[in-house]
Amino acid sequence: MVGGMDTPALALRGLVKRFDTTLAVAGVDLDVAPGSFFGLLGPNGAGKTTTLSMAVGLLRPDAGRAFVLGHDVWSDPVEAKRLLGVLPDGVRLFDRLTGAELLAYTGLLRGMDPAEVDLRSRELLDVFALGAAGRTLVVDYSAGMKKKVGLACALLHAPRLLVLDEPFEAVDPVSGALIRDILTRYVHGGGTVIFSSHVLEVVERLCSHVAILTAGKITTVGTLDGVRGERSLEDVFVEVVGGRVATGHELSWL
Amino acid sequence: MSVGVSVRVFARLKLRVLGNGLRGKGWRIALFVLGCVSGLWFAVVGFTVFALSAVDRGPAFGLLIPAFGGAFLVLGWLVIPVLWSGVDETLEPARFALLPLTRRTLVAGLLVAALLGIPAIATLVATSGLVVGAGARGGVLAAVVALVGVILGLLECMVLSRAVTSAFASLLRARRTRDLAAVALALVAALVGPLQVFGFAALQNTGADRLVRPAEVLGWTPLAAPYVVGFDAAAGRWLAVGARILITVATILLLMWWWSHSLASAMLGASSGGSVRARRRVEAGGPVAQLFPRLLRGAPRTAYGALVAREVRYWWRDARRRANLITFVAVALFLPLMSTVGFAKLTGQAGGPDGGPEGGPFLLSGAVLLVGSLAAIMLANQFGLDGTAYAGHLIAGVPGRVELRARAVGFSLYVVPTLVAVTLIVVAGTGRPGLGPSTLGGLLAAYGTGLAVNLVVSVLAPYSLPESSNPFAIKTGAGMAKSMLAMLAMGGAIVATLPVIVAAGFVPDAWSWVLLVLGTAYGVAAAGAGIAGAGRLLDRRAPEVLAAVTPGR
Repeated sequence: MVGGMDTPALALRGLVKRFDTTLAVAGVDLDVAPGSFFGLLGPNGAGKTTTLSMAVGLLRPDAGRAFVLGHDVWSDPVEAKRLLGVLPDGVRLFDRLTGAELLAYTGLLRGMDPAEVDLRSRELLDVFALGAAGRTLVVDYSAGMKKKVGLACALLHAPRLLVLDEPFEAVDPVSGALIRDILTRYVHGGGTVIFSSHVLEVVERLCSHVAILTAGKITTVGTLDGVRGERSLEDVFVEVVGGRVATGHELSWL
Repeated sequence: MSVGVSVRVFARLKLRVLGNGLRGKGWRIALFVLGCVSGLWFAVVGFTVFALSAVDRGPAFGLLIPAFGGAFLVLGWLVIPVLWSGVDETLEPARFALLPLTRRTLVAGLLVAALLGIPAIATLVATSGLVVGAGARGGVLAAVVALVGVILGLLECMVLSRAVTSAFASLLRARRTRDLAAVALALVAALVGPLQVFGFAALQNTGADRLVRPAEVLGWTPLAAPYVVGFDAAAGRWLAVGARILITVATILLLMWWWSHSLASAMLGASSGGSVRARRRVEAGGPVAQLFPRLLRGAPRTAYGALVAREVRYWWRDARRRANLITFVAVALFLPLMSTVGFAKLTGQAGGPDGGPEGGPFLLSGAVLLVGSLAAIMLANQFGLDGTAYAGHLIAGVPGRVELRARAVGFSLYVVPTLVAVTLIVVAGTGRPGLGPSTLGGLLAAYGTGLAVNLVVSVLAPYSLPESSNPFAIKTGAGMAKSMLAMLAMGGAIVATLPVIVAAGFVPDAWSWVLLVLGTAYGVAAAGAGIAGAGRLLDRRAPEVLAAVTPGR
């Protein structure tokens, strides 16, 4: 399905993943249109990380396929991975390198020209305010700094699609605003972003499209306005996910 | 909350955690059974040895077994958790940090939890051989005294290992001291071998009679005091019994005090990464130039070059890898020294009949083979060493062949100079320069073949290491089984290298250079084939490798 203008930036077809006895992802279909800013929502344990890992080639699905701009991630990985930038969650970086070394390493691994790697790495370190860390190893970075250097690694080769797992977790408000600005500019420039998040406020502010994943299945998907209608995104999310948000007469002793 | 109740809670918690760990996992149950069987084996052998103290052969014979056996056991409990097995952190102190428990309750609870494990139970069974021994010599009363000693001894072992590892945990928390500790421990581990050799040499020198005196001294130290009381009771020396029990109890109390104090800092957990330490030395050049160590300045600025540069940096910067590397270098330099100069000269004994190298070509060939193979075995779980960071290679789409070639080359930059040094030691030790080229040829052949095997093993059977800051923490279970697989594969590699090694040992010096060329070609060809084969495997299995090295799955 390599094709023209209306090829989805990311297309998932019937992704299934089972761990031992639990069905983590139970058949996910999703189309992310090019140029969209896509938010993937879901309660804890809904299978967001599992789905995104299968979409980018980190975790082999039990069934189903994933396409990046028409290239099958599992049968044509070279081209798919060239177009793709990934920020995985819960995965270590090569953290015995300094920030600059890590960026240089990532760039060279991707087969980029060394001069270009130098140029872009310096700029990214500046923009993310990581230059001051100097020769500090990434392992000694704070959680927020690790997120930022991970994001810088994902951006380095100017991918067409960014897949970000929890990019706003552990990030302070200033860095959060910076990341939002970078991603907004990236989408305006024709890129596509899909990210998972718990922070509905950020999703509401940024996204053009949202999908809600519950118990391994996509239960709601559409444009932000289409999904939320007249209500707030939180109300829709709570209704779809179906948890309780208020206490009755319990906990009276508290 | 009374102490008694809490201790029961700890015991139940430990059993529950163990039980849940086994649930629904066939291989885990199998490994648990394997652990039980080896514990049982140790217990039976230990019991037999300790019960032998009943045999009457000379007046002081009954002292030797409890004194040396007991000291050996206590030292084992001191050293093994720190060096090899890591600490059984089924109940990790940091988990209790937020609970309102007094330190006394916590220490008592963790101690009871620690007692509910295979090693503790096996130790108890093994040492209870002393009860039988003492009973046979001195009747029921001596047996009871021995039993008290055995129980106190077990308590001492448990508290000792917990106190030391807990103190270590706080030492390992800051990265600076952690790295230092890693180096120190690696050196200690490497010295265990040489010390044993000297110990044995001393044994041969002195004979059993002269061991009585050191045994008596040991009996007055906490190392063996609890284990020799049965012998004293059987001989009717009740004052000595009292004094030794006092020594043991005092030691236990002191260790508990130390433990409870280091526990407080260990409870803060290893999560706090220590202070952020910026390295002051700013290297010239852009990020790419910074990535490449000075040694590799001429390396290509490609994915392959970057991989080699990162490997070279990692073997030094990663505490776990560095500990392995230092241990290997120490062993590699020591083995040929042993086999050429020999025990005799090293320990100051009279040499062989002609004063020449002991053991002859067999021993030297064996050492060469072992050193070459040992080097390669460090790559057997190379993906486990990187952990989930390997995801970065998957995302960038690194071809398997490039990845493995770079890893082999990066590691060889440390190994090959070591092998050259080994060769020089052999030449110096034997005084035969002609032996040099053939030895190096043999080393390279063994290393290359080992690489081929271990690269394949590293792709087929990677296992996760805990992503903790402790370079010595390992996870029992899958890791054990898979490292056994690596050992098996190593056997195959050794067989494949044998022709070259045997030739290297026996061929006349004039042929030495031919063997260097032959051995090098053999090693390079084997490593090349290994890289190609394992590379193709890795291209197919990369996500499975990542899943295998991800902790907790």
